[in-house]
Amino acid sequence: MTNPGQAKAQAKAQTKAQQCPQAQAQESAQPRAQMANRRSLTRRIWRLIPPGLRQPLGIVAALIALTWLVICLVGPSIAPYDPLAQDLPRFTPPGSVAWLGTDELGRDLLSRILAGARVTIGLSLLLVCLSMLIGSLLGLLAGFFGRWVGETIMRFTDLVLAFPTVILAMVTAAALGASLFNAVLAALVVSWPPYARVVRSIVMGLRENEFVASGRLLGFSSVRSMRVDILPNTVGPVLVMASLDIGTAALLLSGLSFLGLGAKPPTPEWGSMVSSAVAHFDKWWLGVFPGLAILTVVIAFNFIGDALRDALDPGVEKS
Amino acid sequence: MISPKNKMFRLTGALGAAALLLSGCADNGNEDGAAGEPGDGATQIVVDTTFDIKTIDPAREYEPTGQILVKALYDTLLTFADDDTTTVIPDLATFESNSDQTEFTLTMTEGRVFSDGAPITADDAVFSLQRLQGLEGNPSFLLAGVQVEKVDEMTLKLVTDVPSPSLPAVLATPSCGIVNSKLVQENGGSTSATDSAEEFLNETSAGSGPYILEKLDTASEAILVKNDKYNGPQKPTYDTVILRNTEPATQKMNVERGDSQVALGLSGDMVDSLADNVNVESVPSATVVFLLINADSAISEITASSEFVRAVKNGINYDGLLEIAGRGAAQATGLVPSVFLGALGSADALKYDAAAARTAAEASGAVGQKLTLSFPNDIDPTGLNLTTLAERIQSQLSQVGIEVDLAPAPFATEIDAYRDGKEQIGLWYWNPDYMDPANYLAFGPGQSVGLRAGWPEGSNPAIEALVSQGYTTGDLDARRTVFENWGKAMNADSPFVPLLQPGSNVAYQPSVSGVYYNPVWLINVAGLGIA
Repeated sequence: MTNPGQAKAQAKAQTKAQQCPQAQAQESAQPRAQMANRRSLTRRIWRLIPPGLRQPLGIVAALIALTWLVICLVGPSIAPYDPLAQDLPRFTPPGSVAWLGTDELGRDLLSRILAGARVTIGLSLLLVCLSMLIGSLLGLLAGFFGRWVGETIMRFTDLVLAFPTVILAMVTAAALGASLFNAVLAALVVSWPPYARVVRSIVMGLRENEFVASGRLLGFSSVRSMRVDILPNTVGPVLVMASLDIGTAALLLSGLSFLGLGAKPPTPEWGSMVSSAVAHFDKWWLGVFPGLAILTVVIAFNFIGDALRDALDPGVEKS
Repeated sequence: MISPKNKMFRLTGALGAAALLLSGCADNGNEDGAAGEPGDGATQIVVDTTFDIKTIDPAREYEPTGQILVKALYDTLLTFADDDTTTVIPDLATFESNSDQTEFTLTMTEGRVFSDGAPITADDAVFSLQRLQGLEGNPSFLLAGVQVEKVDEMTLKLVTDVPSPSLPAVLATPSCGIVNSKLVQENGGSTSATDSAEEFLNETSAGSGPYILEKLDTASEAILVKNDKYNGPQKPTYDTVILRNTEPATQKMNVERGDSQVALGLSGDMVDSLADNVNVESVPSATVVFLLINADSAISEITASSEFVRAVKNGINYDGLLEIAGRGAAQATGLVPSVFLGALGSADALKYDAAAARTAAEASGAVGQKLTLSFPNDIDPTGLNLTTLAERIQSQLSQVGIEVDLAPAPFATEIDAYRDGKEQIGLWYWNPDYMDPANYLAFGPGQSVGLRAGWPEGSNPAIEALVSQGYTTGDLDARRTVFENWGKAMNADSPFVPLLQPGSNVAYQPSVSGVYYNPVWLINVAGLGIA
């Protein structure tokens, strides 16, 4: 079917072309047609995306995140230099020798940032998966069984939540000793409780539903009832939380490294790179590029989380 | 629910607010800096440094900033000239010693007075030195084993059991500053641990130095004003001296803009990018950064082997370390830094030899093993970042087949492992306590630092003989020879690897003269003049 508006525009362009000298008409008509084509192409791609996910910010964020994930996988092989080699001139500003400059030991900043993606993003994903697993399991048990089981788990959760997150993570990391593994453990200590609370409240709501009750009447064991009837219904909200959490996790882990409680030198880690840049205030590239890496990861995953929430949670007004 | 547009708006708002906040901070910096301009003809100098100060009670202080202030507020019996750190000269007293260097007779200079006009007598000197010993404070060890006696109104005698040729240099440290004994005693002072004069001395200076204390805030600034009663040799030029606690990056901006006249805390890298309108005094500091390789086989079989020590000594590219240490730094030719008597020449320094290092590493069984290099990561001796240095050492050692894991830790926790001799390889530094090479004999076998490297008495009789000679030899030329021999033997056979002396950089406005670095009191503010 032809769009009447489009036909009208074409007719108008034709009349205009007839009025004008021939050469000019050819020049102006061609780009217009191209633009119209392009517009319809974008529109066609746009229509391929399910209506719930049609959010420009979310898509840009997803592209950025996807780029970083690809870098995680192939980072070291596309890096121009060995991220640990100290053989370039120190403090080379960004330029042809090193695109993003070199640091205080003559290491290539770009190579270190690419290698650091694997550390920061990889560990953030690990951290979020672990806290999702632990938090969800505890929340599921608390919500399903209620009574003393639920009370015990939730009071413990409250206890952990009562501490300021970053301080508790710092104390744990300091007590365990500085290493990336310990930083993940420390971050895990503070990041599971929100999952437990959310999952518990969802499970408590579901538990009273008829389809769960009928399952139980049919003789489903507790485990089967949780696995078949309840767990699948908690996945959406938990995934939204998790995707929102990846950015926070990246920030927390690089924060711990910034404070010297995470990655040990010479591991290329964004937080510790920013930290060593503090001593070289006037070499702007040392802090700016790793900082931008952290910024883009955190923002990208936050926007993805927002978009997912809008798409998956029918209770929220669409923006 | 916030719409994305709203969110962007908030984000922009937050960024704007942050920018405002930052520019606000910068403006404040400008206003503070305006203090550099004196009014009504009085002269004033602003010195920026990073504060490390607990107290300015001479018998208790032992931190760099405290030393600067105490040096300006209190005179000592003996001292060093600003431009010569090897010869002791008289100040409040002159001295004579017996040939064994066990008895030192000090005669007080006639006519010198405290800032309240009271004459300085032997009583004040005896009280001050006995108070330093009796308080059991941080610097009390300086006069351990020394008997202080009054002979008459203007004479006192110091007696030691063992020959102590380094005692005159000790008496020149600011901690041995002479306090007004009457005034201090009236305010709770005594020569025992019951002394309670610290609070008083933090508010009022009770000395005879070129300056008196106007105000001290250990977190932000100290203000000194000229002592009108001062009648010693070091006439101060500036009426007021302001010492401010400032971050190094801000120090750089301040001294470039003229908001301060002197900056003490700039690293070598910062000095390299200083504006042209600022002068810099760059010399190797007296801080020696070294590696400790544990000789105790219970800690590590590998590090205990002499081949491993040789591998490390040959495997380090000392020029490569200097490259990251910045301006003013120099290779440490031995453990005794270049400004002291008995320091080694560059011909005797350790040399990089990759081939020899690789052979020795293979012989020691270190190849294919992982060792641990421990160091404090929250302290930068003289502007040198130990983490950066450790990363460079790790990379250099790996090229000769020695793999080390870096184990950074806060100073407060790592210091215990160091003092208890628990580190496999440690990266540490030594600041001189007083200006005499005897200070470094502590690295000998069975001595305090030697034990930290698992190096007990009896490990090396030849070096031990030199250590005892170093403590007792009095004659200047003989001492020099003893310390040089000791230094060479330590370079060859000790489990310590002297690495470098970081640069000491004092940046100052061209209008200031008399800027000299001192290993103990860093800078003598009374010696600063107008160029």
